[in-house]
Amino acid sequence: MLFNLIVLVLMLVSFAVQEFIPSIMPETTHYARLFLPAVFFFAASVAVPFPSMLVLALVTGVLWDVRYLPMSSDAGQAASAELGMTMADAATIGTADLRFGYSILVFGLLGALMQGVRPLFKKGRLELPVLMVGFATAAWLLIQYLLMTLLRGSFYFPTAMWLKLVTDMMYAMFFSPLMFLTLHVLARATSYEIKYDGLRYRYDGR
Amino acid sequence: MKNFNVLALFAFLAVAVGLLLMNKGKSRDLQDKVMSVFSPFIHASAGVDKAMERGPEVAVDPVQLQRESERLQIEVQRLRIITKKYDEMMNENNELRKNLDYKQGSHFKLTAARVVKRSAGTWWNTLVIDKGSLDGLGTDSPVITDMGLVGKTGKLSPHMAEVILLTDELCRVSAYVEGTREKGILAGERGGTDLRPDLRLRFLNRNAVINIGSKVYSSGDGGVFPAGLQLGKVKRFENREISGEAVVEPVVDFEGLKHVFVVEMQKAEPITAPPVLRAEPIPTAKRK
Repeated sequence: MLFNLIVLVLMLVSFAVQEFIPSIMPETTHYARLFLPAVFFFAASVAVPFPSMLVLALVTGVLWDVRYLPMSSDAGQAASAELGMTMADAATIGTADLRFGYSILVFGLLGALMQGVRPLFKKGRLELPVLMVGFATAAWLLIQYLLMTLLRGSFYFPTAMWLKLVTDMMYAMFFSPLMFLTLHVLARATSYEIKYDGLRYRYDGR
Repeated sequence: MKNFNVLALFAFLAVAVGLLLMNKGKSRDLQDKVMSVFSPFIHASAGVDKAMERGPEVAVDPVQLQRESERLQIEVQRLRIITKKYDEMMNENNELRKNLDYKQGSHFKLTAARVVKRSAGTWWNTLVIDKGSLDGLGTDSPVITDMGLVGKTGKLSPHMAEVILLTDELCRVSAYVEGTREKGILAGERGGTDLRPDLRLRFLNRNAVINIGSKVYSSGDGGVFPAGLQLGKVKRFENREISGEAVVEPVVDFEGLKHVFVVEMQKAEPITAPPVLRAEPIPTAKRK
């Protein structure tokens, strides 16, 4: 219980820390950067039980959308619609955008996927969990982009988009061992017992 | 799967769907409130960014500083004279308008703001500025520089606002090409992978004659952006299946933005006093 609470607090802290994370070589990597809250969520999904993972997905999704999802007001949307109708009917197709709260479902889905590597994490094997964090980060970004494409109505996949996506994934994989280490230390400090499908395992630091 | 897990899954889905179906106004209020909570971190991180950009302090020659100071004093005097002339002309213009019983359609209030930082989002091109709702800003207000349109305001906190850049696909502007009757919708690129990508002016006539280098201005349709703001220059024209499309190079250098002005359009009313173009002084960076 204490472990889950601390993980939740760390998740909130990660959003504050995210503001301080710069983009390294922004011109080359097209503003790719480490998305700490997302990476921390994917790493924590491996350590916490299913209901706690869902709570984390909820908090991460809500906070991410609240902080980073740009949103025009109804007046702006109405103006765009009016504009589209007067200018060309096709323009109205492109006025829809991602709805607030969509990230919760995406994080929930990917978190559930991450739960599949819990047995390896318990054994202290980090190879697959690290790869999975990278995969989940790339999948999260790609789902976002595909949803935008679906809603805005035209296929546009420039090389820059793929480069940014791959760089984000690499950053996530590079930093995820640090997250796993933090979670291991935290588990040891709080005597957290990782359970999986009826199996019981008391983490003793080995 | 344990019963508790199934219960947790259903509760999660119920909350997620509830939030997805939430009224846009409410979600917007929530965004504004959380933006207020994050404001101190955004300000602090901007300070760190600036410190990193500046690098180690370099000793400055006092003689050079003296020269620079003198040059700036002369510049201030020159600008004072120009301002005086401008005020005289504005007064004269207002008098003439009054005499003609001219009814002003709308007049603008300009609020100067400093660019704090570029947002750390995933696929969106946004900036954060240091003025917010308590400074009189509203959502969807045009943001400009002396060069042209920068974008529009999004989320607001008391002393901070997010600006959705013109280069983002989410910021659409009704625009026309100078010297033609061609009107279309100008939008940026998807993904925000570049800070200065080419813009696309869509829904033009297929066989429109558009000269390369022609200026593109906002037309004022839609009610969000005022007419006559320069947006960019035509780079090339492409014929699509249904309509024509012009590739437009933005006129604003989004990379080097330091200060911007937020335009608050006020409601039409008959003129009883001369229209005033108010501009707050540009805040200067604090020096240690």
